[in-house]
Amino acid sequence: MAVLNAKKSKVSDEVPTSSMADIAFLLLIFFLVTTTFPKDKGLAVVLPEPGEEAQVSQKNILHLIVQPNGIVEVKRGENEQIQRMRPQEIEGLWRSAVSANPNLIAAVKTHPQAPYKYMMDVLDALHAAHAERISLQILEN
Amino acid sequence: MSIKGGGFERKSKASSEVPSSSMADIAFLLLIFFMVTTVFQADRDRPIVWPVAGAAQKIDEKQKNILMVWMERDGSVFINDQGYPMEDVSTVIAPLYAASERALVISIRADREVPYVYMDALTQELVSAGVVRVVFAAQLEESMQRERR
Repeated sequence: MAVLNAKKSKVSDEVPTSSMADIAFLLLIFFLVTTTFPKDKGLAVVLPEPGEEAQVSQKNILHLIVQPNGIVEVKRGENEQIQRMRPQEIEGLWRSAVSANPNLIAAVKTHPQAPYKYMMDVLDALHAAHAERISLQILEN
Repeated sequence: MSIKGGGFERKSKASSEVPSSSMADIAFLLLIFFMVTTVFQADRDRPIVWPVAGAAQKIDEKQKNILMVWMERDGSVFINDQGYPMEDVSTVIAPLYAASERALVISIRADREVPYVYMDALTQELVSAGVVRVVFAAQLEESMQRERR
């Protein structure tokens, strides 16, 4: 009797695979639900608090005036001399200017009729040059 | 007990298990159904031409804390699929900003050709709503393009 019982083992020698599909789907659905596609890209800017105004000495300001045709007029602090350049040249300008004066603030003044993309080009160049202190304004008068 | 080769103890041909070979198909069907019907974001994309920026970075914030503010070429503002006049933007955003416990990031998605006067009005509205973190959404510029110019 004992010999007969030992002949046929009831325990299967295979790993049960019937639930593998369930496990795989569970994982699949979990990741499907938790995934968010990071499609949002952009240039981050911190806006000032309402009513917050900082007094900055003129010599620490680099004026970048964006004209409607995309030309950027650069004015350094009190210096009345205007330097015209393309937005792409701002990156190098900022790097050299900030190494001379670490307290420098970029004041981007955009003409009301200038397309947004020219302001973005300037902002992009400033971000590429790791500028942190940027002021966005509209060109008055 | 049993006699070997007797043939009386033959196994039943009918399987005692539920057929599971088609389960994967059913699951895929469900999966595809839900994938197709799921809508991730509440608002639809507005027809804008994206500005490009080489230094654009991913927004380091949860998706639910990002509010998209669209601005079309004519300066009209859309939030959550609805158009608002410019002077109402701060009153629309302020409660949303408070509800998010000041964690909200505003993603400004403006057409590249929009005159800056509208952008300035929009940022002034955001400032008066108390918003601090703003992202000027842009498409990442190809490095090839960047080298060329």
